[in-house]
Amino acid sequence: MMTIEVTRPERTTTAGRWYLERAGLDALVAALREDGRTVIGPTVADGAVVLAEIHSSAEMPHAVGDVQGPGRYRLTKRDDARVFGYVVGPTSWKRWVFPPDVELSTGRRTGHRVEFAPTASHPTKLAFVGVRACELAAFGVQDRVLDAGPFRDADYAARRESAFVVAVQCTTAELTCFCTSMGTGPEVEHGFDIALTELDEGFLLDVGSPAGQELVDGKLASALRPATPVEVYTAAADVAATRARIGDPLPTAGLHDRLLAQLDNPRWAQVAERCITCGNCTLACPTCFCTSVIQKTDMEGIAATNERAWDSCFSPGFARVAGGSFRSRPRDRYRQWLTHKFGTWWDQFGTTGCVGCGRCITWCPVGIDVREELMAIAPPVALSPEPIRVEPVAASFNDFVVAQVVATRQETADTVTLTLAGADPAFSKGNLGQFAMVAIPGFPPLPISISRFTVDGIELTIRGAGPATKAMTALKVGDQLGLRGPLGNNWPIERAVGRDLVIVSGGIGLAPLRPVIHALAADRRRFGDVRLYYGARTPADILYREEMERWASRGGIEVHLTVDRAGPEWEGRVGVVTQLFDQATWEGANAIAFVCGPERMMQATANTLAGRGVTPTRIFVTLERHMECGIGLCGHCQMGKYFVCRDGPVFSLLQLGDTFGREGI
Amino acid sequence: MAAMAHPTEHGHGGHAHSNEHGHAARGGTPRPRVAVVKFASCDGCQLTILDLEDLLLELSEHFEIVDFPEASSARSNGPYDVLFVEGSVSTPDHLRRIGELRKQARVLVTIGACATSGGIQALRNWADHDAYRAAVYPTPEFVESLARATPIAEHVPVDFELRGCPISPDQLVELLTALVTGRRPQLRDEAVCMECKRRGVVCVMSAQGIACLGQVTQTGCGAICPRMGRGCYGCFGPREQANAAGLARYLQASGERSAEEVGQLFAGFTAYSEPFRSTITDLGGTRGARRTGGAGHVAGGAYPPPGGAATGRASYLPGRPRMEGIDDDGR
Ligand SMILES: Cc1cc2nc3c(=O)[nH]c(=O)nc-3n(C[C@H](O)[C@H](O)[C@H](O)COP(=O)(O)OP(=O)(O)OC[C@H]3O[C@@H](n4cnc5c(N)ncnc54)[C@H](O)[C@@H]3O)c2cc1C
Ligand code: SF4
Ligand code: SF4
Ligand code: SF4
Ligand code: SF4
Ligand code: SF4
Ligand code: FES
Repeated sequence: MMTIEVTRPERTTTAGRWYLERAGLDALVAALREDGRTVIGPTVADGAVVLAEIHSSAEMPHAVGDVQGPGRYRLTKRDDARVFGYVVGPTSWKRWVFPPDVELSTGRRTGHRVEFAPTASHPTKLAFVGVRACELAAFGVQDRVLDAGPFRDADYAARRESAFVVAVQCTTAELTCFCTSMGTGPEVEHGFDIALTELDEGFLLDVGSPAGQELVDGKLASALRPATPVEVYTAAADVAATRARIGDPLPTAGLHDRLLAQLDNPRWAQVAERCITCGNCTLACPTCFCTSVIQKTDMEGIAATNERAWDSCFSPGFARVAGGSFRSRPRDRYRQWLTHKFGTWWDQFGTTGCVGCGRCITWCPVGIDVREELMAIAPPVALSPEPIRVEPVAASFNDFVVAQVVATRQETADTVTLTLAGADPAFSKGNLGQFAMVAIPGFPPLPISISRFTVDGIELTIRGAGPATKAMTALKVGDQLGLRGPLGNNWPIERAVGRDLVIVSGGIGLAPLRPVIHALAADRRRFGDVRLYYGARTPADILYREEMERWASRGGIEVHLTVDRAGPEWEGRVGVVTQLFDQATWEGANAIAFVCGPERMMQATANTLAGRGVTPTRIFVTLERHMECGIGLCGHCQMGKYFVCRDGPVFSLLQLGDTFGREGI
Repeated sequence: MAAMAHPTEHGHGGHAHSNEHGHAARGGTPRPRVAVVKFASCDGCQLTILDLEDLLLELSEHFEIVDFPEASSARSNGPYDVLFVEGSVSTPDHLRRIGELRKQARVLVTIGACATSGGIQALRNWADHDAYRAAVYPTPEFVESLARATPIAEHVPVDFELRGCPISPDQLVELLTALVTGRRPQLRDEAVCMECKRRGVVCVMSAQGIACLGQVTQTGCGAICPRMGRGCYGCFGPREQANAAGLARYLQASGERSAEEVGQLFAGFTAYSEPFRSTITDLGGTRGARRTGGAGHVAGGAYPPPGGAATGRASYLPGRPRMEGIDDDGR
């Protein structure tokens, strides 16, 4: 099932295969340490085999086994002296290649000035001893998520690059293992420097890379002798027996489609009665990559540190935006977890998100078994989805480029437009509808749409919704802030050429559409009729009022306004924005629509537009989701198979299909 | 001061107190006036504030501490910019004072399990109040107390909560920093489990079969108990949408624990917070309640424990002439 190429080495040949006595393991650990590496390997602590730094093979388990089941893990004593006589424990290598807490950057705010400094990553040289087949596959999955583009996590890449991998063939398996079903094990086949298969008195040793060969020819040479045919045969037989023992506990053919066809299955609500939404499964999982960034500041509010920590789609605030969480119910969170791991991961990364290690089963404190849920929700059939194409582009992960406020304009009581100059030149190539991650040291960086492109910068229109946006709306001329971007995709304005364009927007939602209107007005003849429908809470909340008059009088744009609550001076319409369409006489067959506002308003608008004959391929909406990285790495903004930050925020209704407006996606 | 975060959580209007009381600190900016008051509690949370030691000096550059019973005997009156409230509402006097104090406070922060969920003293809420009092005090007629010990938020709007028994110094510093710099405090509302996993703690529930409330408990403590090899007993209180019923069902179904034993697990410092409260009630009330209430006794309070045989073990009572914090008069 993995798309990663697998080449099986000839299992029965003795050529280039070595035998290492059990006592020789210490020579291996010593050689890696002499190489200046921090050696991570298994050791027994707190009733489990955990992964930790080891200094000699004496710290590794001896004669230890394990028993695992849903929500249950116990160590056992083996009656042989094996060092690897158990399967994967609570720790995964993720801890070292993608650590739970990482300092990303620091920032300072002194008077008007702001400064940002990405924290350099200088990972120590690592060596991993005892990596299982499913865990090698997990590296493969993580490589696709964090290191294959379009954006890369440089810290992850550096750690992966530095690690020397000593893999171990599984000669035992537990009830929780299902690598056979996911196509990831139990045979170790590639992606290692050295692989060991444990035999009664020692190990069969295979070389998998030039670095491995160098070790075998050098520091380890005196501890090795060529393997005998019996040793080679026994090793192969033991691994084959492991495969047989696991069987195929999870029929995966067509799982992606099976699962995504079951978004309304009643079982989601049932499993949510048992699920505590504690998040253990996601943090124990070797491939889950979701993170959140928190700010630490000093009392003066001058110096700030941004730290990234593992987070989970089970966390309450994970999908929170203004107006609430997109996954408010536990069932939504469970569904996100399962559909992501086994379904939408394929759309995003062209691979499964699950490698069948079983950790989420053992370490779910209440023993929920993903295999049982999958079989109940999405029983077997067939089909295999196409992996998505990813185009690598260069972009920084945590570099904020400083820009300066050169003008401010109070749009409404709580909304300000900031004109920024000296922004990253990348913004001059920005597209209509893109956004920036905007940062003031000490506050969380936020996604803000670019509401205008100027000669040497951009404008942002910001509503003071909370502390961070209020701090931004309080900025004065001369103050600085940090920008990262431009990010996201854009309104497909080229598709509007020769068509009528309907722009529908509510509240602050006009901000990302403003550059579209500017672009239209500059090249008005290329478009048919252009109509803007805009709804605000009260007349005083109408954005860009003066500009709007110009759009109407000189830009050739029909402007229709409505408010929820009118004052005495208001003579225009009162009511929701879709009511503005009531009197309209136009036909939608030749029209294209751009819609931005609260999600409910967008749904209502989409229905009204469809009713007027605008096809779903030509209705575009822009989605708001919780965003932290803006480049598809932190996981927050996922909506089904999409990362809203990277694949959106602009989507056609056709793209969204029935996920649009569905609760809890 | 101008930057001080305005509470938005509970839509409480706040009071635009001018700061004429504030002494000028650096640059002449008046420092926000901070006070700590105490209701029924053991002072442990106040001690956490005192334990900040080195930081206290820095804090006092940014805040004017006008009232702090544990630190000095100086008394001042409101208005306060930030008022920390320790302890639960346990006496008629508390009830009267909390309303007064709310009016004096621009930002009201409850600190600790007592203030945020009623504390250990709220276990009496399941019991027959008079019988309980008689069991505890030699001359119960002189003790004025309410039938229920209740969290502050049951009486007045609360802007921020610091959970725990005692509170976490890190969270305290984070809240103060956020208040003074004007940003949103970053107090995580996830499960203790998340902290276990980030710190690489082996789950005591999966690996040792120890019942652990970490899954339903709000994080903040750094998973102290699992790090020490024991189960979390929920001192930070229930987290958002805590599935206490689900956990209780699992603990019973996975064997070895009776419904009553499972109920007892939730009957700690934060017993009176929902959904722990209803879980305890569903599973047979607290042991203390049974002891004082007797077999099959139905208490007069709002949360009568269902009938059933008394266990004969009163884990919270024996040998304790006076429970910490109970019926304290507020000083
Ligand atoms: C693609 C995109 C473009 C946006 N463009 C604009 C714009 O042009 N102008 C504008 O005023 N606002 C825009 N927003 C919304 C803006 O990001 C939020 O209002 C802002 O994050 C509020 O943060 P706060 O800390 O000030 O307030 P808080 O009080 O902390 O939050 C207010 C609300 O915003 C939500 N929120 C907090 N952090 C985030 C986050 N990282 N991502 C999304 N929501 C969050 C919170 O859950 C809360 O409901 C955009 C959002 C997205 C996703
Ligand atoms: S989903 Fe579960 S079984 Fe699959 S890789 Fe993650 S932890 Fe392992
Ligand atoms: S969204 Fe996906 S990657 Fe992120 S925690 Fe959930 S299951 Fe894991
Ligand atoms: S499935 Fe299990 S581990 Fe995952 S969130 Fe639910 S209860 Fe926690
Ligand atoms: S020990 Fe407790 S808090 Fe930690 S992961 Fe296990 S259940 Fe959660
Ligand atoms: S683990 Fe639970 S009981 Fe222990 S300190 Fe933390 S919240 Fe309190
Ligand atoms: S993945 Fe981080 S904001 Fe989209």
